[in-house]
Amino acid sequence: MNYPVWEVSFGAGFLIAAVGILHVFVSHFAVGGGLFLVLTERRARRNNDQALLGWLKAHTKFFVLVTVVFGAISGVGIWFTIGLIGPTATSNLIHAYVWGWAIEWVFFFVEITAALLYLYGWEKLDARLHEWYGWIYFIAAFLSMVIINGIITFMLTSGNWVKTHEFWQGFFNPTYFPSLAFRFAIALALAGIYALITASVQQDAALKARLVRWSACWIVPALVVLPALGWWYIRWIPADVWVNARGPTPTATHYALFAVVLVSVTFVLALLTLVRPGRMHLAFSLLVALVALGAMGSFEFVREAIRKPYVISKYLYANSLYAAKMPGDGGFSVDEVNANGILKAAKWISQRDLSKGDQAMVGREIFRVECESCHTTDAYRGVKHYLALRQWDQNKMQAMLGGLDLMHNGVMPPFAGTDAERAALAAYLNTVHPVSAEAAAAASDGQAVFDQNCSMCHRAKAGEPLFKELPRDSTAAIKALKDLTGLFPAMPDLKLSEPQRVALVRWVDTQRPVKGSGSTAPGGSK
Amino acid sequence: MIQPDAIPALDPNPLPAPYWVFKLLLIVTFFLHILAMNLMLGGGVLALVLKWRSRKHAGSNRIFLDLAKKLPVFLPATVTLGVAPLLFLQVLYGQFFYTSSIVMAWPWFLVLVFVTLAYYGFYYVSYRGGRPDARAGRVLLFSMILIFLIGFLFSNNLTLSQAPSRWAAKYFASPEGWSLNLTEPTLIPRFLHFLLAAVAVGGLLLVFLAVANWKRDQDYARQLLQFGGKAFMHATMAQFVVGIAFLLSLPRDLRMLFMGDNPWATALLLIGVGGGIGAIMLMSGALRKENVRAAAFYVPGVLVVVIASMSLMRDILRDAYLKPYFNPGQFVVSTQWSVLLLFLALFLAGVVLWFLMLKRYGLFGSK
Repeated sequence: MNYPVWEVSFGAGFLIAAVGILHVFVSHFAVGGGLFLVLTERRARRNNDQALLGWLKAHTKFFVLVTVVFGAISGVGIWFTIGLIGPTATSNLIHAYVWGWAIEWVFFFVEITAALLYLYGWEKLDARLHEWYGWIYFIAAFLSMVIINGIITFMLTSGNWVKTHEFWQGFFNPTYFPSLAFRFAIALALAGIYALITASVQQDAALKARLVRWSACWIVPALVVLPALGWWYIRWIPADVWVNARGPTPTATHYALFAVVLVSVTFVLALLTLVRPGRMHLAFSLLVALVALGAMGSFEFVREAIRKPYVISKYLYANSLYAAKMPGDGGFSVDEVNANGILKAAKWISQRDLSKGDQAMVGREIFRVECESCHTTDAYRGVKHYLALRQWDQNKMQAMLGGLDLMHNGVMPPFAGTDAERAALAAYLNTVHPVSAEAAAAASDGQAVFDQNCSMCHRAKAGEPLFKELPRDSTAAIKALKDLTGLFPAMPDLKLSEPQRVALVRWVDTQRPVKGSGSTAPGGSK
Repeated sequence: MIQPDAIPALDPNPLPAPYWVFKLLLIVTFFLHILAMNLMLGGGVLALVLKWRSRKHAGSNRIFLDLAKKLPVFLPATVTLGVAPLLFLQVLYGQFFYTSSIVMAWPWFLVLVFVTLAYYGFYYVSYRGGRPDARAGRVLLFSMILIFLIGFLFSNNLTLSQAPSRWAAKYFASPEGWSLNLTEPTLIPRFLHFLLAAVAVGGLLLVFLAVANWKRDQDYARQLLQFGGKAFMHATMAQFVVGIAFLLSLPRDLRMLFMGDNPWATALLLIGVGGGIGAIMLMSGALRKENVRAAAFYVPGVLVVVIASMSLMRDILRDAYLKPYFNPGQFVVSTQWSVLLLFLALFLAGVVLWFLMLKRYGLFGSK
């Protein structure tokens, strides 16, 4: 809201994900593939293996066309894209880490030069010098990963930086080393996966078989250690953050599952290449690469999803509001926006006057500045879809917006703004998916009432505090549900109809643990 | 509509080094970027002309092929050297640059698509340019159209970043980011000014190739020298028309900065103009006497001074545009000494390593 919000019809988040995932799939290859080039060249020269050298020359061309062209441009592309979609976060990352970026640029420059000289040097340089260029390339590429890894992990686990704003404390943050090792293992696996592609088009079956086996020597061990490194990585992610990938946050949970499944499938496919290595088809190598791309993308999705509601952990929310008031925040912390109102604070709003304008139109603008960094109306993370599941009328919507930061274990930032602004946003959302008050009160099936009103924060599974702590006596439970904020102050002040409360209590009774604690003390899950 | 203080606020992080350090790095790295960009764009334009001429002049095809092989190196050089000024620009002028980028978000995003396609096009021409069919010429034309568009979009964004008064109307007319800055009076002359400079430098590139070929194949080298030298002279002469148009298109108070109001800016303009005239005369003499050394060393020597003074003028102009909105004193400075020193040490080591790599490769003729 300090900067204008770019309205991407199909979803800003989707665009960043697309650019980012394609980039990492190539940039990790750029690191691992560098080591692959030099070690393969060494091996070929030691054994005076001309066939292998011939293939490696062609593979170098492929490597440069993929990494130096697409990899480098898409890397700049991430900069362009985050600047367009998250200018506040980008500005913070630039000012806090400009010397880190500048160091990375030095490595980038050396890396690109070395890659081109290595490519053109095949015909021109003596073997020793050529290998040297390969080593310079790989070391520079690895060092650029060493730098960028510090900044990416900082965004997930900002550590002490939030207090001290000290460069190295943010850089060497809790997940720095596990992430570096994890990513390097991925890079090594990708070196083999990409090599399968150029190997598959070889005519000479004996050479192809050797190449496939050599590629598998990169993929298989890397994927064998990957779970251990992943475990190390997860151990350093704060438990309350990681738990999001274990159920409470649907995106993180689904992608964590995809990541595990797709890495396993990649592993099995890599082993299958060894069955008849001399006859591996291009289509099969592309399949391996595609599955690996899915795995890599899923991992990055998990990392991004568990980081939510933040874009920089504990510091900046995904919608560009600062988590806490601090000097120099420009008035863009949640507390300040709550106090002053978003219509006053936001710089890029054309309808500021709630007393004059159409409430829903003003709500539309609030949606743009507060929600559109992650949501669209009916495309990527479209709110229309979520609202259709919930069937909230305008009043209920307004109440629910007050508890955004509690939903799905806190995946969203809190709504920031005044009560009137929250009402305006609710009015707008009710135009996106109109539900009348009668329709909202109509649901009489207990599970439907739970799904529509409770499931954002409470999960229908054993151990859910709601099931244990709601009074066992039906009359008392129905009465307690009348005043939710009395039950637990952070709950939205929902007004369920009498039949809905009765249905809900009946349904909750079917979910209760058989040997419950028997506690009748009112309380909530959070 | 929009509040008068619509310039986005800075973020809470202090500037991790004094203002002038970033300013210096911005100007120096921009200068290097623009040199590489000129070689790429100018080389590409001339390659295109030569390919077209090769239908009648058989000799042109050889120069085209020589140039075509260089383009896939100059493009990454341009991009790589462009990352640094883009970084330092964001450090100092992020409030302006991010906003104007968002106002023209889709065209700006398309730059990435265009660069990628143009780059693959260059590789195609470099690897397949020798084939007798006409496809290489068409691919090169396609790549160069994309490169022109990229330059045009850069001109749009950087002029828009200096014109905050236009942001709101454009943004609210298209929050999807389909605006450009086409009403900017300096847009076209500015774009042409950069384009012609690139063609001139492309001409010098051919002169360098003439030096490299002088001992091996003098006929070919002469051809390179004459064609490149003339391209340089014609582009630089045309620059006087375009440069004057650019100057005249500036708002009066900004134009007057270069015409007496600011002695430093005026001196730079005089150096630029004088250097341009001097370079044309030097080149003309060198072509007449076929003095390839004069063409390849004195002319670029003068031109480096001209481009450096232009880079400084450009910076003065930006700050003059932004004067009502931007105060360098707004930054809180808290220098990150340890990382800054690490950067400087690595930068120095990187430059030494870079030169060593090129030297051992034999690019300086030592092998």
